[in-house]
This record gives sequence, C-alpha cells and structure tokens, in this order.
Amino acid sequence: MTRVLVVDDEPQILRVLRINLVARQYEVITAVTGTDALTSAKTDHPDLVILDLGLPDLDGVEVIRRLRAWTRVPVIVLSGRVDSRDKVDALDAGADDYVTKPFSVEELLARIRVVTRRRTAADPVASVTIGRYSIDLALHQVTAVDDSAPPVHLTRTEWQLLETVVSEPGKLVGQRYLLEKVWGPTYQTETQYVRQYMAQLRRKLETDPTRPQHLLTEPGMGYRFQP
Amino acid sequence: MAQGQLRVYLGAAPGVGKTYKMLEEGRRRRERGTDVVIGYVETHGRKHTEAMLGDLELMPRAEINYRGSTFTEMDVAAILARAPEVVLVDELAHTNIPGSRNAKRWQDIQELLEAGQTVITTVNIQHLESINDIVRQITGVPQRETVPDEIARRAEQIELIDMAPEALRRRMAHGNIYRPEKVDAALGNYFRVGNLTALRELALLWLADKVDEELDRYRTEHKISATWETRDRVVVALTGGPEGDTLIRRAARIASRARGADLLAVHITRNDGLVSGSNANLSLQRTLVESLGGTYHQVVASDIADGLLDFARGVNATELVLGVSRRGRISRIFSRSVSTATANGSGPIDVHLVSHEEVKRGRGRALPSSALSPTRRVVALVLALVGLGVLTGLLSELRGELLLPSDILLYLAFVVLIALVGGLYPALFAAVLGSLLLNYYFAPPLHHFTIAGHENVLALIVFLAVAVAVSATVDQAARRTREAASARAEAETLSTLAGSVLRGARPLPALLDHLRETLGFTGVTLLERNPDAPPSPDLQHDPDAWRVVAAVGDQPCLTPGQGEAEVLVDDRISLVLRGHPLAAADRRIAQAFAAQAVVALSQERLSVQAAAAGPLAEVDRLRTALLSAVSHDLRTPLASAKAAIGGLRMSGVVFTDSDRDELLATVEESLDKLNRLVDNLLDMSRLQAGALAMTPEAMSAAEVISLALADLGPDGHDIVVHMPDEFLEVMADPALVERVLVNVTRNALRYSPPDQPPMISVSEHARFVEIRIIDRGPGIPETQWDNVFLPFQRLGDRDNGTGVGLGLALSRGLAEAMSGSLTPDNTPGGGLTMTLRLPQAETTEAEQPDPPLLSGLDQWSKGQR
Repeated sequence: MTRVLVVDDEPQILRVLRINLVARQYEVITAVTGTDALTSAKTDHPDLVILDLGLPDLDGVEVIRRLRAWTRVPVIVLSGRVDSRDKVDALDAGADDYVTKPFSVEELLARIRVVTRRRTAADPVASVTIGRYSIDLALHQVTAVDDSAPPVHLTRTEWQLLETVVSEPGKLVGQRYLLEKVWGPTYQTETQYVRQYMAQLRRKLETDPTRPQHLLTEPGMGYRFQP
Repeated sequence: MAQGQLRVYLGAAPGVGKTYKMLEEGRRRRERGTDVVIGYVETHGRKHTEAMLGDLELMPRAEINYRGSTFTEMDVAAILARAPEVVLVDELAHTNIPGSRNAKRWQDIQELLEAGQTVITTVNIQHLESINDIVRQITGVPQRETVPDEIARRAEQIELIDMAPEALRRRMAHGNIYRPEKVDAALGNYFRVGNLTALRELALLWLADKVDEELDRYRTEHKISATWETRDRVVVALTGGPEGDTLIRRAARIASRARGADLLAVHITRNDGLVSGSNANLSLQRTLVESLGGTYHQVVASDIADGLLDFARGVNATELVLGVSRRGRISRIFSRSVSTATANGSGPIDVHLVSHEEVKRGRGRALPSSALSPTRRVVALVLALVGLGVLTGLLSELRGELLLPSDILLYLAFVVLIALVGGLYPALFAAVLGSLLLNYYFAPPLHHFTIAGHENVLALIVFLAVAVAVSATVDQAARRTREAASARAEAETLSTLAGSVLRGARPLPALLDHLRETLGFTGVTLLERNPDAPPSPDLQHDPDAWRVVAAVGDQPCLTPGQGEAEVLVDDRISLVLRGHPLAAADRRIAQAFAAQAVVALSQERLSVQAAAAGPLAEVDRLRTALLSAVSHDLRTPLASAKAAIGGLRMSGVVFTDSDRDELLATVEESLDKLNRLVDNLLDMSRLQAGALAMTPEAMSAAEVISLALADLGPDGHDIVVHMPDEFLEVMADPALVERVLVNVTRNALRYSPPDQPPMISVSEHARFVEIRIIDRGPGIPETQWDNVFLPFQRLGDRDNGTGVGLGLALSRGLAEAMSGSLTPDNTPGGGLTMTLRLPQAETTEAEQPDPPLLSGLDQWSKGQR
C-alpha cells in the first residue's frame, strides 16, 4: 500500500484529498505545517509527498530542500502559485512534479501514479511510438509505421534529448535537468537549446508539430512524454 | 606653368548623381573640342552612370600590390605623361592604397593641378573634414576618408548636386544606387529621411559659407561645430538716439539670416547719471525690438564700451551691432569712440558697425567719470580752497625763513593730499590754484602774475606737472582699488553661490534670495516658458505663456516684460529681476545665478520624481500583494470544491455515505468562503469607488448584535453579551453594520484563547452608541494599531487564517461610511478591544409637544430616585 503524506494548511483540501486517496487504496497521513511535514516524513516514511507551497511556518520550497537533504521521496507540489518563477524554484529544489490549484483529481491521481511507478519499475523503455514512427531506443532506429511518413534521421543531440524525455513516460522532465543531461552542467541556463531541439524533434516525429500529442511542453517547467 | 582649375561636384549623400554630372560635364567639354580624359571613375555598377562614360577616354589604372592583393588606383604618372587639358577624377576624398604615389587622392589632384591640368572631381559633404564630427553625430557612421576643407574651398567652382531626400530614397528603392540585395540595410541605416535632410542642410550651409566669404571665415575659425548646438545671439546696442530703429532692423536681418538667432537690444546707462539718450526713443525702440521677437535690456556701467562687452559676453552673444559714432572728428581725436573700444575688446564676438543718418551730427560729450564719490570730491574742493588759503597765509608769515623751493614742496604735498581725498579734478583744481598762488605770493616779483627768474618759471611748471601727474595716479589707484574690491565681492558671491546648490533642502528660493540681496533687487522671479505657447511678438508680455517657477522678494513678475532686467538661461527659462536695471558688470553674476538656479530647479524636480517613485513602488507592492493574496484566497476554496466534486464524479470508486456527505459539505463550506471573499472584495471596491449603496435606518443595538451572532453561527455560541438597561437605537445600514460586527467578532474569536471567549458590551456616550468587542488574545502593539486597518497587509499565501487582510480595512471603511468609527484599544489585562461607534438614532423627542415639560419630568424622576 502506497503511503501518501499530504501537507496543506487548508482543512478542506486535506479532507478532500484524504477521502479521494483512501477511496483509491492509498494510505494517507496529513500535516498542516512545514515542520509537521518534515517530522512526519522522518517518522512515517511516506512513499510520496503532496505539498502545498504556502504553509504558515515554512515555505514549501524550503520544505522540499530539507527533504531532499536526506531522502529521494517523490514530491508533487500542489499550489495556487502559478508563476513560472515559483514552479522553477520548486522544481530546482527537487520537486518531481507541479500541479496548480484548482486541479482535477483525475490528473493528480495520474501524476501520483507516474511518480510512484518509477520507484517500482526500473526497466528501461526499449521502444516508443510517436505519431507515425516507432522508435527503438536501443538500436537508435526510427521506423515509419505508416508508409506515407518520410524517412527520418535524428542527430546525436536529438537522440540524447529524445531518450531523456521518453525514458519515463508521463513524468515531468525539467528544462535544467535536460540541459545538464544532454548538453552538460555548464549549459544550465541556455534554455533556448532545449526549445530549439524539441521543436526539431516535433517537426520530425509528430504528425502535426503545431499540435503535439506526445512531446508536450509544460510551460515554465519542462517537458512530458505522453505515450 | 599656370595652376589648373579645380571644379568640384558636391553631393549631400551617395547616389545624388555627382559622377553622372561629372561625366556629363566631361562630355560637354569634349564636344567643345577640349581634350578630356577620365583619370578615375567609380560607377558602382550603376547603369545610367556607365552609359554616361560613352566614348570618353578612360585612363588605365595603376596596379598596386599590397599584402598579397592587387588594388587599382588612379595612375597619376600616366595622366601627367598624357597631359590632357581636363581630367575627370571621381571621389576626391579617397584614400589610396599604401604604396601609391600619394596617400590621398586629393594630393594626386594637387599634382595634376600643379601640372596645369583642369580637374573635375566629386565629393560628398560628409567627407569634408570640418563636417566630419557632425556627420557622425547625425548618421552614427564615422567617416574615415576625409578631405581638408581647404582643398574643396580652393576650388574655382563648386557645384552642389542637390536632390530631395524622398527622391533619393525612391532612386535607392529602384535599385539605382546600390544593388537590390543591399538596399534594405542601407535604406534603414544611412538613408533615413532625417539623415538625408540633415546632410542636405549641411551641404547647403557649407556651400553658403563658401559663397559668403566673411561668414565662411567666421565659421571655419570657431563656429562650425558650435553652431549646431548653440544659437547665435545678436546684440544691438542702443544709445537712445533716433538711429536706433535702423540698428534694430539691421540686427534683426542679421539674426534672421543666422538660423533663427536671438535678438537682444541693450541700452547702457552711465552710472554717473549723465543720460544721453532719450527715454521716448528708447521706449519706442523697445517696442520695435519686441515686435521683431527680440528682448530689451538695460544695464548700468561706468564705461559704455566695457558695459556693452560685459553684457554681450554675459549673454553669449555671437554678433554685436553698433551704430557708427555720432561724434565729430575733433572729439574723436581726444578719445576713442565707443565703437572703436568695443571692436578692440570684442574678442570672438563679431562687431558690425552700421552707418546711419545721424553720423557726425554730433552731440555733447560727457566727462569721464570719477572713481570717487561726489561727497569726497566736494569735500576735497572745499578743503583745497580753505587749505590753500591757510597755507598761503602761513607761508606769507614765514616768507623770510623759507625759500621758494620749500614753498613749492609744501604746496605739492598739499595737492597730493587733495588728490588722495578727492581724486583727479579737485587735485587739478588745487594744482592750478596753487601754482597761481605761488606765483602771486611767493615768486618774485611778488603780488604780480609775472615771474622774474627763468628758474622760478621752470619750478612752477614742474610743480604743476608733478601735481597733475600725482593727482592722476592717485585717482587711477582709487579706481583700481574699487575695481579690485568689486571683483573680490563678485568672486565671493560666486563662490558662495557655487556651494549653495549643494546645501539645503530647497536651494532654489535661497539661491534667488541670495541673488536678490547681493544685487539689491526688490524681487527676483524664475519664469519658465510654457512649451505649448505659440511664438508671438508679445511673448514677453503674455502671462499665459509663462509660468512662475520660483519667486522671492515682492510681488512676482508674471512675464519677463514686467521686470526691469531679464537674464535668459536657455530657450525656456528666464530669470526676471525687478527693482532697478541690471549693471553690466553684474550681469555675469546674475547669469551665473541663473545657471545655478536651473541646476537647483532640475535637482528639485528630480527629487520630486524620486519622492513620487517611492509611493509608486509602494502601490506596486500593494498590488502584487493583493493579486497574490486574492488569487490564493480565491483558488484555495475553488480547489477544494473542484477536487471534492471531481472525486465524486469519478467512476470506478465507491465512497461511503459519510465520505460523500463530507465531500459535499466541503463543497458547501468552500463556496461559502468564496462568497464571503467576493462580497468583501466587491464592498471594498464599492467603498473605494464611493459607490456603496447605503440606507441607514434606526435599529436597536440589541437587534444589531443578535443579527451578527446569528450570522456567526455555532462559532459565536460562547460570546458573552452585556446590554445596558436603557433602550439604545443606532442609525445604521442593517446589512453593513452586521458585516462589520461579524468581521470584527470573527477576528476576536480567532485570537481568543479557547477558555476565554470574546465579550461584547454596549454603552452610550455623547450621542453615539459604542459597541465594544473585547478579546483576551495576544492583542496588538499600539504602534501597529493603524497598520491593521490597511488592506492587503498579508503577502502571498502563507497564512490562511487571516484572509486577504480585507476584513478590518473594510470594517473601518463601512463604519466610517455610516458616520461612525472603528478604533482599537487595549483590553485591560491583555487582549484587544475594538470599539464600533455608531450615531445614536434620533429619539422621538422631536415629536414631543412640550420638551420643557419632558425635561422637567426627567428632573423630577431623577429627584425621586
């Protein structure tokens, strides 16, 4: 049974989340302050933390930082802050995903599944399908599924980027993480690289690059591969 | 061999058609039978230009190797050897490749000219050295290839190839100047209409200079660059004579020619009071000047030429217009005329001497003024008369003991004394009188004005000469002393002035006051011209066109025309002085003051701006706080409601009945919360917009409180209410007063310890009903009392407890809207007490038929108790 720690100072939110999660066979612990959350994380060993950023005692970003000092427990931020600055701060501090309030319970549950799945399934993704192409990540081959699709060749950087994004389907991959992984640690601020290469990938692989179905942008946060 | 002729085609910009013109001229000359060759031409691939080449003989170019590449340059040697009559050479400003015969093409051309060949060449205005800086300012493109102005200027003929900027741009757009692929960048950068117009103007001006030799010299020597920044100022000196009109008109013509220069007329009043001009003339001339758009000034000076030059320098004049002296030939031998003195001392200012009909009609000549005060001169004269009498009497007594030389020495000593006291004229008087007395009383034969010995004649003459010389020297020294003192005073003033802007919070009035005291004016006003004011002849008298920036002393001048003197600071700002005309020597100080005043003014304006930026930043902070607080407070209940409903609607999960109830309850609570917030926000904005609908009515205090308690629901269960025995009614809007009470009470509940619920007590004082909401919570420090009523105090989404921070702000606003108040106080023993004061409703007293009776009854009933 997956144990979820929900941290929010709003009793209504806590109540709604508790009922919904329990109904889906999660075990739920709640905390209303940052300090409570940190204590609870140590004593109760949750498998996932759902965290509000605006807490009465500590800022949520600080809570993430303190958690990250000793644990890799997945953290999904659930906040009313919609500024991309806030999102970047939380993700940089080590959050795994970011959901803005008001949210859809269904979406939140899907995100919870994605971040908790990674903990159990360690199998690398061998092949994915994007639009009219089947991509074999091991062999570095792009095969057209549909005869009408033109042959596609991906450059080395494009491969690296694609591999990184699709390796965990459904999971948010931060821009900085991509930059560091593909280009190296010194390129962390050159976000236009990612945008440019992602656009190229979409142009080559997506059926309609202007309405991507698989390589999705999460504004202000990063990218998500939707299988 | 005779020097060849140089003909230059001058263009304002590339592409106006210089090369084409040059070739056309070459062909024309060839058709006349002249031997014409093309020394060098650059067609830039322009087909019309190429077509113009026709069958003109084209000299092969010399090939020069430089750093491994081959370049082609004009082959001067070949042309010299070919020796044509006319050589066409394009691009006068071209710099040759290192290793060529000359460094610059103009040097090549010099050689050809020296060889007696006529050269026709082309150059763009921006390549002229003197224009270079300005061109860079205008176009932002530095020109590396320049040609000394002298070269172009020495040309026998300069022809301007002129073209309207729009036409040039069209030619450009058609691809007739550069290749189409280059057109865009070039159009955008260099070929802006503004650039082209400025360059065209430069070219026209430069040529105008060439045409007008005098103006030409003037500009090359010191003004080419300066004329772009500063405006010319023409000063015309008026004597008050009838010739002034001529002078003013002439000066106005000069001013209008020099690109809208300022015209200033000045009349110098002699400080000895010997006014030579007619006031009637002057006032007519003042009107004339102002009708021509100029300004009239009057200054006081001891020397007219010096005063005039002081004024001219003070206002940065570039030209000075004077009438030719009216004095006759003889008086000119004895002293320099004002015009000569002015011209000699004018320095960089050009002096125009204008002839007029009044010349040589003559006029009375004033004596040069003395440096010493009239009192001293009178005293010295009296002293001379009395002293010489006494001295003569005394020496007559001693005639036996003292010889003539000793007498002369004593007289001389006395004359020196007079000179010390009264200056030149009394001393001269004493010297002459003394020599006569010596002659009469002491030089033999005595008591006759004849002198026997030659030696005595000599002695007396020497006496007179020495006395005159000494008097003159003493007078001069006194004059110098006075000048030094005034210079020192001026320096002191200026140094105080320099510091005054840096000191003090509002330096401008202090500065003006300082100026007023220093120069003894009754009022000083700093005026700023309204930038929208249309230029008109009576601008100087139009109060709408001017705004008083600062004024000290008596009543401020509303227009420059109201003052006795005006100091122009720049186009817009003017310092107007009232009290007396401005002495020429003081004008410099006034000018310095004016400049400082402008600095102080801009400093003041900057600090006002900076001060305005502070509240703006505060407003910005508030707005950010509001947005983040409101967005959080709106989102949170929305989020719970949406999540609860979303959960309920999702298929595949079965909730228990209690879970379902709880979710639905959450939805309701969240929506209530939202509703309250929206109400508060709306009321707050209505309140701020003054659009709050309010219908006060009389209602009993108990009723008000029970309404509020009902609204609080179960939370308000523990609240203790103390009602007085008497029946109190308030005038209030029922809905609003309930809102206020609920807000304040909810606050009190939030901070109260669980075992000490808040308390509400009601009392009456001075026709106000006071409702106190008393809590035993942590309280608020007195210093924060005002702050809790400011809206949006909370930043961000940190604390859900307090809401947007609207509650108290809104409550106070509502209370005040109902003519009441809401004030915080300390609860004795700790905690906060909020007092809501509401006006008491008018009781039925007005309807009582007999108030005295009632009050009597009242007293009676009190007596009974």
